[in-house]
Amino acid sequence: MTTPAWIEVREVSKAYGAQPVLDHASLAIERGARVAVVGRSGSGKSTLLRLIGGLEPADAGSVRVGGADLGAYSEAERAAWRRRDLGFVFQFFNLLPTLTVAENVELPLALNAVVAKEARRRSLALLQELGLGACADRFPEEISGGEQQRVAIARAVVHEPQLVLADEPTGNLDIETAGQVLALLRHTCERRGTTLVIATHSADVAAQATRVIGIRGGRIEERAS
Amino acid sequence: MMRLLNRASLRFYLRHPWQLGLAVAGISLGVGVFVGVQLANDSAARAFDLSAALVRGSTSHRLVPIGADLDEKVYRNIVIDRDVATAAPVIEANVGIAAHPGLRIPLLGVDPTQERNLRSFAAFTPGRGNGDLTRLMTEPGTVLVPAALAAELGAEPGSELTLQIAGRETVVHVLGIVGSLTTDVQAEPPLLADIATAQELLGMPGRITRIDLRLTESEAAALAAATPDGTILVREGAQRAAFDELATAFRTNLTALGLLALVVGTFLIYSTMSFAILQRRATLGVLRAIGVTPRELLSSVLVEALVLAAVATGLGLLLGRGLAAGLVDLVLRTIGDIYFSSVVEAARPSPWIYVQGAALGTAATLIAALKPALDAARASPAAVLRRATLERQAKRGAVVAAWLALPLLAVSGAILAYGPKNLVAAFGSLFAVLAAGALLTPLATVALMAMLDRLLGRFLGLPAVIAVRGVGASLSRTGMATAALAVAIATVNGVGLMIGSFRTSLSSWLETTLTADLYVTADPTTPLAADSDVLAMLMEVPGVAGVSVARALVVQSSVGEIAVRAFRPGARGFGLTIVSGPADAALAALAQGRGVAASERLMFARHLSVGDELTLPSPSGPQRLPIVGAYRDFNTGNYAIVMALERYRASWNDLTITGLGVDLRGGADAAAVEAAVRGLLGPKAAVRIRSSSGIEELSLQVFDRTFQITEVLRLLAAVVAFLGVLSALLAIELDRGREIGVLRAIGFAPRDLATSVLTQTGLLGLAAGLVALPLGTALAALLVHVINRRSFGWSMEFAPTFGPLGAGLALAIGAALLAGVYPSWRASRVVLGTALREE
Repeated sequence: MTTPAWIEVREVSKAYGAQPVLDHASLAIERGARVAVVGRSGSGKSTLLRLIGGLEPADAGSVRVGGADLGAYSEAERAAWRRRDLGFVFQFFNLLPTLTVAENVELPLALNAVVAKEARRRSLALLQELGLGACADRFPEEISGGEQQRVAIARAVVHEPQLVLADEPTGNLDIETAGQVLALLRHTCERRGTTLVIATHSADVAAQATRVIGIRGGRIEERAS
Repeated sequence: MMRLLNRASLRFYLRHPWQLGLAVAGISLGVGVFVGVQLANDSAARAFDLSAALVRGSTSHRLVPIGADLDEKVYRNIVIDRDVATAAPVIEANVGIAAHPGLRIPLLGVDPTQERNLRSFAAFTPGRGNGDLTRLMTEPGTVLVPAALAAELGAEPGSELTLQIAGRETVVHVLGIVGSLTTDVQAEPPLLADIATAQELLGMPGRITRIDLRLTESEAAALAAATPDGTILVREGAQRAAFDELATAFRTNLTALGLLALVVGTFLIYSTMSFAILQRRATLGVLRAIGVTPRELLSSVLVEALVLAAVATGLGLLLGRGLAAGLVDLVLRTIGDIYFSSVVEAARPSPWIYVQGAALGTAATLIAALKPALDAARASPAAVLRRATLERQAKRGAVVAAWLALPLLAVSGAILAYGPKNLVAAFGSLFAVLAAGALLTPLATVALMAMLDRLLGRFLGLPAVIAVRGVGASLSRTGMATAALAVAIATVNGVGLMIGSFRTSLSSWLETTLTADLYVTADPTTPLAADSDVLAMLMEVPGVAGVSVARALVVQSSVGEIAVRAFRPGARGFGLTIVSGPADAALAALAQGRGVAASERLMFARHLSVGDELTLPSPSGPQRLPIVGAYRDFNTGNYAIVMALERYRASWNDLTITGLGVDLRGGADAAAVEAAVRGLLGPKAAVRIRSSSGIEELSLQVFDRTFQITEVLRLLAAVVAFLGVLSALLAIELDRGREIGVLRAIGFAPRDLATSVLTQTGLLGLAAGLVALPLGTALAALLVHVINRRSFGWSMEFAPTFGPLGAGLALAIGAALLAGVYPSWRASRVVLGTALREE
């Protein structure tokens, strides 16, 4: 018996101006999977992640997550879905410079109307779990790149979303730190049963995935994991 | 190399048109307001100067009567016995026009045969020749009418005109039209008549009001040493000194407000240029890395500023021209109120004002661009400054700026305490206070946000904290905009508080001064005979409780021309507010005829003190009158003194009166009393009867009209500041593009972002508005106690109220929120993919 698809990308096309990126691409991902998306620069990995995250609309085709057609949602509904069910990790961390480390982690909880005291408790607990307890009251610019990316992971999972999308999460880190961050991301998602989709160039990162897919010529193809 | 750099600059602005637009708008508005005010000022001033010059001609001195008028024999004595070559007799009085109720214009009676030596309008009607002059001299009841009045009334040569003179109507024949003397002057001459005709019309046969003279200094000294009996020699123009000083001060105030708009505009330019440089800091670093020298980068940015200045200044000059068309009427009307004249039209202003505006606009742009240009030149080739580093620098800069504000405040105080006591120094001090306020604003903003952070963080949660911290975290962009807004709002507050204080003082002064219920006023040139029977009969009119009597006249004193107001007060006394000297003693001395009270304008302008003496010529010889006190006087006419009527009569031998104050009994019918008073004085009496409430209402109307232009200018300054905030917000929004993308990615809805941006802009407005509260109050205190004092010689009570301050705060927040509408809309519409893709 095959596991039913939780994420369904069906016949999706996307172009930026005259430059096609995805061309009738289709993909199905089961719940709780750890999927790596690989491909050359400009192949469409990040675009695929943004489409799955509802960050931008497809030109054609449909993206369904958990049975819901993201294209049918209004902007406000997509925002509500993201704040509840999605965590995002970026290559350049993108922590808010005006919030402390703990406040950055609290942000998704605040958006989900978790009371401030509980949000603070949960964020500190998670930071502690990730070895960042000492950094809680520091501002992002006061900690290292590796620490920033761990904070970004904490922010992505603190509200226990069903899906985490990571776009080149180790692309801006040295090999040793990248390994630590990746392990952390994998374990954190595994413990929570969170579906993880990572866009990456790195074979090492791809090796951590349960499934690897590639993008070539705008089409999605299955790779050996 | 420079060609490529300049091309890169041009393309940068073409890709960021709103930045280009705001930079241009900042300079254009600043230059436009300054040039508009200057053009209107110059146009009005020239109109009045030309109008005065038209009547003055080449007259250097005037021989004027000590009493009401002169016997025309004095003229013959001057010409024949004193051998004065250039002299012309003049009779002048204000007359009404029946077809134009309320308008009074001067009727000037001259001797046309003598006039050509003194005044160019001796030619009277260009093109009409001397034939008209002959007819003017030989035909009785003929006049020449000013062109504008003729056009308004439809008067033509041959038509008739009904004049109102001393309460009666007299028909005169229009012989011709007096046109402008030169093509660029629209100032109008007075109604002209031959001297014999004027004497007849005014009922003053054989009398003249003055003799105009052209004298060398030695001739003047000789004549002054031995003037004919009953006359005094005065230098031409001296009699207008009080009016001229007042009008000049008014214009100086307007110029200062115009300059303020330019200063606020300069803030905007600085803000825009700084941001343009910040945005290109990566590019500049790369340029330095490939070998572009700091000097080349500096030149490139300065060239960029010059091009911007050229385009924007050109637009500003056009804007100023348009603005001047709207402002000139307001300026003319105010100066008209000062001179009691309504016949002056705008004159063509000096073209140099455009040159001045262009130079100031260019200079302001270059000054504003200098620091950004130096920043660009210093761009490090090795590493591009991180945003966090920039903001840390901005915060350090805010602390340094706040420290710099302290010596600036000290300089301002030193100027006031030890500097020259003139208006320019006062404005120097005021601008120093404003600059200090601007320098303190960024640090005050940081402090306010830190406070709000603690409060809002606890109650409103992280989205609000993001908004609060965003203000402080973007200080490199928000600091200057907040400072510009604070300065503009402080100006709005300060001027508003000053106007409020002034109005309160004026209202209270009117209540003190208007001691009677009805005022009967006669033209000083046609006074009423002091008929004691009439006064006795007035007392018998039902409803009349008492009558006070006044004689007003203008005399030449040892300190120039002054208005003498001689009173026999009624039950409510002189109605004077003594502002220097012991009030009771001063009023007692005044009532006993032991001295005079001088208006504080006179005391201030002529540096007089209580105890000094004024020497006034009188028919019974020079009168040395000690000043027993200074009184508050918001009149805009001559410098004035008040004395007891009996003291006046004892020396001037003049029993006529020009004013009556009628006290009514409680419940008396004012209209019935007015009718009875008119009946008693007879139909020929040229009097105006007004109630004290009517005078108060009219005075406040004139006051409000005077400050209309001030309202316009301070609103324009607020518009410039609004653009500054808009510019800063757009800069922040552009800079936060990725951050906004991240917030959207983690679940912020478009509406949340719009709210966040609007909260942030509202906070900017709040910071500026709060800084503007003390700054505006300080400004108002300076305006009330220093600027108004030095401008007009008026003292007034400083009565700060929350009304104008609250309105200023609301304006600051409202302007900031309005400026935030577009950036918040843009933030909510950000294309997520694009924002994140730019990573």
